[in-house]
Amino acid sequence: MSEQDQFRELIEGYAIGALDPNERTALEAHLSEGCPECAKALEEARLLVSQLAYLAPPAEPSEMLKARLLRTVRAESAPAKITEMKSSGRSIPLWLWAGVAALFFLSLYSSWDARKLQNTVQDMKAREAAELKQREQLNQELTLAKHEAWILTDPNSKKIDIMPNDKAMPVLEAVWHPQMGIYITGQKMPMPKGNKVLQLWLIPKAPGSKPMPSHTFWPDANGKITEMVDDPPEVMAQTKALAITEEPAGGSQQPTSTPIWVGGVS
Amino acid sequence: MTSKYGDDASADAKLVDRFLRRDVSAFEEIYDRHCRMVYSLVVRIVQQAPTAEEVVQDVFLHLWRNAGQYQSARGPFVPWLLTLARNRALDHLRLKSERQRRREDQTEDMPAIAQAPEYEKALDQKRRAERVRSLMGTLSAPQKKAIEMAYFEGLSHSEIANALQEPLGTVKSWIRNGLLRLKEGLQTAS
Repeated sequence: MSEQDQFRELIEGYAIGALDPNERTALEAHLSEGCPECAKALEEARLLVSQLAYLAPPAEPSEMLKARLLRTVRAESAPAKITEMKSSGRSIPLWLWAGVAALFFLSLYSSWDARKLQNTVQDMKAREAAELKQREQLNQELTLAKHEAWILTDPNSKKIDIMPNDKAMPVLEAVWHPQMGIYITGQKMPMPKGNKVLQLWLIPKAPGSKPMPSHTFWPDANGKITEMVDDPPEVMAQTKALAITEEPAGGSQQPTSTPIWVGGVS
Repeated sequence: MTSKYGDDASADAKLVDRFLRRDVSAFEEIYDRHCRMVYSLVVRIVQQAPTAEEVVQDVFLHLWRNAGQYQSARGPFVPWLLTLARNRALDHLRLKSERQRRREDQTEDMPAIAQAPEYEKALDQKRRAERVRSLMGTLSAPQKKAIEMAYFEGLSHSEIANALQEPLGTVKSWIRNGLLRLKEGLQTAS
């Protein structure tokens, strides 16, 4: 028997896995040398051996086995599909990308437009607030002007000249209406020195009564005074005179200096 | 199953191509077509139904994860699948044994693919199974027993000789001649 025949006789035993280690090693060495006959014989023998599976008695696996397998396989295939969608540009059509891009820019524009609209609304609100404030101020000025006009023209009003102690100082004028208050005006008034303010006092007629404190005020930059006192602390009939002193900022409850201006009421 | 082997092989090849692309329905179809045969083989080897189901699950998951190792152009799918299932089942039997070491040295993880001879292409699975059983029935009882011990139990010539208390040369002849007779019988049947 040739060496080739000896190897050939081992092929079926090798295919079924029954060779002992020394024979197996020898045959594998022979096969690795590239013997075409033995390689072909082995291929056929392997196929033949696989047919022996039909000798097994028929048996049926449980349905649970299939369910377990499919659950695992589906779980493993899901990430692959996601990855495929992410990595493959062709899996997402161009029109869909275009749609996404359009949606993105539409969202961007909507956001910008909303922001712009919001700013416009805020500007309108600020403008409306400013106009409202201005209107209130005008209303106040109008009301004051009406009061002034009423006080100045009403026959019940009394004109009071408030004379300075220093002849170099200007004369102030007050018009007192019994119900609407005292309206004081003056020109070329000097600005109080330091942190001082001018304060109006009502000197009661009652003997021994203390001066009654009223408004504090300043001349404007042009030295002009227009002060409306709509809540005098005493009625005109009980007041002997009006006096103006210089007082610390915030005013005083009692005069801290000699009056610079004094005007008799009665 | 009434279709010819060639049609079956072609259908299997198409299914394998599909589940190579992670098509779960193709995998399910492959399983439905072959699970009974694979399970029958495995439970015959491991002898316990729960263990057999574990091995069959392992076989089909291995197939799913390594389907690329099968190339339809090189041979039919079913013999390849059966060889894979047998190797897995025998590996389960051989844990930490000398036979396991020998088997691991000899057997590749995924089986080689064999070209089908003409007699293989002419028989459908049902007829082939009947023919194989019929031909094996013509062998002597010791010869059939030796082949079954080698195939289903993974025993070597020496181990079979010891188990059957027969000379080693006799066992080798039984197995080889029995397989050659099987081959001749299948060729005649075609």
